[in-house]
Amino acid sequence: MSYIDTIADNKDLVTPGMSACHGCGGELILRRLLKVAGPNTVICIPPGCMAGAGVVGWSFDNGLKVPVHITLLDNTAAFLSGVTNIYQRQGRTDVNMVAMAGDGATADCGFQSLSGAAERGEKMLYVCYDNEGYMNTGFQRSSTTNRGSRTSTTPVGSVIPGKPQHSKNLPYIMAMHNAEYVATASPAYMKDMIEKIEKGLAASKNGFAYLHIFSPCPTGWLHGPEVSIDVSRKAVQSDYFQLFEVDKGVWRQTVANKKPITLKEFVGPLKKYGHCSDADIAALQENIDARKSFLQKMIG
Amino acid sequence: MAKSTVKAVSGNTAAALGTALCSPDLIAAYPITPQSSVVEYLAQLVADGDISATMIQVESEHSAMSVVQGAAATGARVFTATSAQGLALMYEPYFRMSTLRFPMVMAVATREMTSPETVWSGQQDTMSVRDAGWIQVYCENNQEILDMVIQGYRLSEDKDVLLPVNVCYDGFFLSHLTERVEVPAQEDVNKFLPAYKPDHVAFDPKRPMAIDPLTPGNILIQYRAGHLAAMQRALTKLEKVDEEFASVFGRKWGGAIEEYRCEDADMVILTIGSMTGTARVAVDIAREKGLKLGLIKVRYMRPFPVEKIAKALEGKKAWAAVDRSVCFGWDTGPMYMEALAAATGNASSFSVIGGLGGADIALQDFAKVIETLVANKDKPGRHKTLWLEKPF
Ligand SMILES: Cc1ncc(C[n+]2csc(CCOP(=O)(O)OP(=O)(O)O)c2C)c(N)n1
Ligand code: SF4
Ligand SMILES: [Mg+2]
Repeated sequence: MSYIDTIADNKDLVTPGMSACHGCGGELILRRLLKVAGPNTVICIPPGCMAGAGVVGWSFDNGLKVPVHITLLDNTAAFLSGVTNIYQRQGRTDVNMVAMAGDGATADCGFQSLSGAAERGEKMLYVCYDNEGYMNTGFQRSSTTNRGSRTSTTPVGSVIPGKPQHSKNLPYIMAMHNAEYVATASPAYMKDMIEKIEKGLAASKNGFAYLHIFSPCPTGWLHGPEVSIDVSRKAVQSDYFQLFEVDKGVWRQTVANKKPITLKEFVGPLKKYGHCSDADIAALQENIDARKSFLQKMIG
Repeated sequence: MAKSTVKAVSGNTAAALGTALCSPDLIAAYPITPQSSVVEYLAQLVADGDISATMIQVESEHSAMSVVQGAAATGARVFTATSAQGLALMYEPYFRMSTLRFPMVMAVATREMTSPETVWSGQQDTMSVRDAGWIQVYCENNQEILDMVIQGYRLSEDKDVLLPVNVCYDGFFLSHLTERVEVPAQEDVNKFLPAYKPDHVAFDPKRPMAIDPLTPGNILIQYRAGHLAAMQRALTKLEKVDEEFASVFGRKWGGAIEEYRCEDADMVILTIGSMTGTARVAVDIAREKGLKLGLIKVRYMRPFPVEKIAKALEGKKAWAAVDRSVCFGWDTGPMYMEALAAATGNASSFSVIGGLGGADIALQDFAKVIETLVANKDKPGRHKTLWLEKPF
């Protein structure tokens, strides 16, 4: 089935009325993820914008058409480990075990339990939607916030201009966990993303699978909702966010980027970088170059 | 009478043997002194194929409680064990386990809380979380540990209760002490403890639901009221469970409190956990001297047996409660504070604090308690706390 048919034919498993901000990458990722996973799925979603949008349910009502549990900010992979082990015991390996968590729940608070579950090879697909900050609580910095970014806890002041540190490269770290499958994806490259969700789900039947998905956030990053996909595409085209997969230890760039655009073309529409000087951009570029050459080395 | 095997085992092994007999589906734990050998023993049973549980060696206690929570949401019978810092680390999913109304048993080899840095006995760990919604039972000896694990699952899984249970026992004093323990036969445990089949929760596409959706206050208050009501039902249930346990296994532990030589007593000592053994001897010695002294062993801190304690203290002239932990802000021990709230009238009473950080509570300590009781006997009202300090 082509990915367009998958999107067109499969049921949207998010309950009507559930909605994040216009142009939210997270919501789009959730809807697509569940279209591919289908109704024979259980999903864990920790606090964050997706939970805040109500998909984890409200009052006595469910926000999804599949079983959902709002885990703690820091225990999603551990909670789902318990669930998946009981399903394995019962021989019900057909049921998809899925987590969808923000970068804060994944790279910061929840990193220990995530790393533990990955190391144990727990059978699940863990999806991180990375909007580079704690959006639900007012866009505070996270460890995936990039250098220079303005956030509410790394404000732009006359002495300190935004976040001083580079971001943590979580997909690389996860790839070092002997996982079955690790990949990055972007909503601007839907075919690539759908294929990776499919591969991730297949891999989750044998072990731990991890997807790290670029997730534009118009409300926090301060860009128009209509350019979310454009921003996602430019992130890839500028190598700010590279698309690759690590399939049972084999690294591959899934979307080649022969003629990169400049970083300025990507950061231009994002007001969170609006204050950045040429030197700030150059520092960010340096980090991007280091990541690129790391990926090339891993691909070999 | 039920068949059983007599073994000489440590408190930790007793907890593990009790757990194994309850056939859990999943065990997740993280090592910490003095609990570690509970899960080491269970890991060996799993490795040898003696029990069929799935064993998950997690990277922290936070994850231990989270893994068992996920398994419990999926309808499994689960177990973990911990002490002190481990319990503190798991507080977040710990509180949620009870408020999700998931039954389970967690053994706690109780230990003092750091600081000052310590790895030794004390009950500060479990006492500090007595308002996290769990049932808490405290054991006097290794047989009681094994029996309370089995009773714990039965109570926990009762449809009128559905609350997790902490089986607490003094680190080292019991966890590492070898005693004679009767290990019941599997078929008798199977008879006493039916398979667990939850109908209040499912995490299953065949019965899709949101577990724990965002809940506004007007609904949340109903959950809390329901939880508290279940705690009160547990007070009656735990007595019934104890009686039924006695009918199958021939041992009865007395329910929420056990009274020893209290009937004609005018002075009473309240104890909790392993110190009770020493206190029994102290009472016997005092009786020989003609003192009308009795003993109340407080077994359950949660639910707190308010009425039973009030009744047991009724008409007594003086009483003292010995705690192995403190209640910051009251200058007393927590059990004393709660017994005081339960007691009617204005008898003479005082709090005793001792046995912290692994210190022993010996016969001489109880002699001091008794001396103070006698001195305070005719002076009603609260008296100052007696600290069982030791020279170093
Ligand atoms: C232990 C704990 N600490 C803090 C919080 C408050 N909190 C809720 S959501 C959140 C940030 C989530 O960020 P992220 O995972 O990136 O999701 P996003 O909101 O960006 O979608 C925080 C800090 C919490 N729920 N639990
Ligand atoms: S704040 Fe950002 S991540 Fe959150 S719902 Fe809005 S657009 Fe999505
Ligand atoms: Mg985020």
